[in-house]
Amino acid sequence: MKKFLGNKTAIALFTLPALLVYTIMVFYPIMQTFFRSLYEWDGLTAGTFIGLDNYKNLFTDSVFFTSVYNGLIFAGIITVTQIGIASILAFAIADGAVRGRRLLRISYFIPVVLSVTVVCQLWLSIYNGQYGLMNKLFEMLGMSYRQDWLSGSKSAIIAVAFVNAWQYMGYHFALLLAGVRSVPEQYMEAARIDGATKLQAIRKIMIPMMAETYKFCLVFAVTGGLNAFANMYIMTGGGPGTSTYTLTYLMYRSAFRVGEFGYGSAAAAMLVIECLLATLIINRLVARERITY
Amino acid sequence: MAQLLKKVRQYNLPVTGFMWLYALLSVYPLVWMIFYSLKNNDEIFVTNPFGFPTHLRFENYTQAWSNYNVPVYFMNSVLVAAATVSGAIILSVMFSYATARLQWRLRGIAHTYILIGMFIPIQVIMIPLAILVRDFHLANTYGALIVPYIAFNLSFTSIVFYGFFRSIPGELEESACIDGASIYRTFFSIMLPIIKPALATMVIFIFLNSWNEFTMAVILITKESLKTLPLGLLFFQGQFTTDWGAMGAAMTIASLPTVLIYMIFSEQVENALTVGSAVKG
Repeated sequence: MKKFLGNKTAIALFTLPALLVYTIMVFYPIMQTFFRSLYEWDGLTAGTFIGLDNYKNLFTDSVFFTSVYNGLIFAGIITVTQIGIASILAFAIADGAVRGRRLLRISYFIPVVLSVTVVCQLWLSIYNGQYGLMNKLFEMLGMSYRQDWLSGSKSAIIAVAFVNAWQYMGYHFALLLAGVRSVPEQYMEAARIDGATKLQAIRKIMIPMMAETYKFCLVFAVTGGLNAFANMYIMTGGGPGTSTYTLTYLMYRSAFRVGEFGYGSAAAAMLVIECLLATLIINRLVARERITY
Repeated sequence: MAQLLKKVRQYNLPVTGFMWLYALLSVYPLVWMIFYSLKNNDEIFVTNPFGFPTHLRFENYTQAWSNYNVPVYFMNSVLVAAATVSGAIILSVMFSYATARLQWRLRGIAHTYILIGMFIPIQVIMIPLAILVRDFHLANTYGALIVPYIAFNLSFTSIVFYGFFRSIPGELEESACIDGASIYRTFFSIMLPIIKPALATMVIFIFLNSWNEFTMAVILITKESLKTLPLGLLFFQGQFTTDWGAMGAAMTIASLPTVLIYMIFSEQVENALTVGSAVKG
């Protein structure tokens, strides 16, 4: 048996292809990102070692702070709206007192399977100042609230964040619904017998019991927000000005538009640190002990 | 009767209202896209921006299909997704079998090593990856997308398969061994059929990921003839200013495969995309 499961040829045959592809295409680039962040590098020549200068430059670059700030705004908006709406909808669907549940579930989830390009193009037309649906809607309701939603330097990042929130709300909904269903019936039953209202039971029993699910949703939404790129790339190109830059967008600009690969790598390294920090904080604050039931 | 009364009392109007309102908000943009894919500019902008088209202009679809590069993008997406799914599944299922079931000293380390990839946002390795693709002369070939896509899916897929393989009792291999089956035979004829549900889930997961992938594609592909749908559609806004109906048609065509798969396998698709919470949490 030992010989059977310790077949060296089989082990090599099974593991080497995956290890090779992963090492070259994922692990080596991770190392390179950190290593290259210490270089002044144009992506073509060998580059010169400059220590922490890229980081020093980042910290004196106002666009860096704009990017971090936008990442936080973006993450904040999508976290609150996605998890908030998803919670209401998940508890309501699980409650069972509503008709057409299957239709509702499918409706909530459908934007998740769409391509980000399609979603962004759609919302570009919805937001459009001249003929967009948003302005048409306000017109229909008799409100003179017409504007070009994506060209205001304050409103653009919010408008873009809502597109992401809209697309991935269904993802959080599906996660939370699975979470609700994994809480044993007896707990809710016991609460009802003790005279708790539905809302009390959800607040005091359901949500704490779903701490693990909420933790995952939080990590997913926050790191997703900090990493945001595709939405800006397609909808605003970082503009107006630099008002919708995020760290990933800054990295992309520096490397692929300006040719400062070392500087871009430093921005990428900061992104890793930011995401790790966010994950650590969330792990610290939510569900420090694993809940078993 | 008591049951019915309870039902009525439970029926909460504000919450139900919110549920249907949000469903409308969630689906309407998509419905609106399908509507305008069947309208002309005049109807889209002026006469009937919100409602069902007054006259179904299917010619928009033939227009999008024949005048713009939609068939090329579509075929590229099919090819890249198919290659990514098969490559990633084959490599990860073999790898995770070896780390989960076979006996060797470094298997724990190998497992952890692959796990690292799950915690790194792909955006972070874009720069070295772009250089790597160039140095391997993969730039502007299908390989520029397929190889990195396979690599990126390995960590997560391997972890999921690992969990499934671990849950299989060891007696199965014992009896296979006693019956004289080789390790390969055991893997293909016994193990793979057992984890079929996991295989199906991961096929859906990888397919949706690679069909819709945007960030890497935009950096790694510049050649028109190699663009996938998410990339190809990117430049429509400018190109189609005169022909919005065709743009809607192109976007509808691009969304059709994933939406159809979701409609048919809704439960499996949700499971596939949310399976991460069980692993990553």
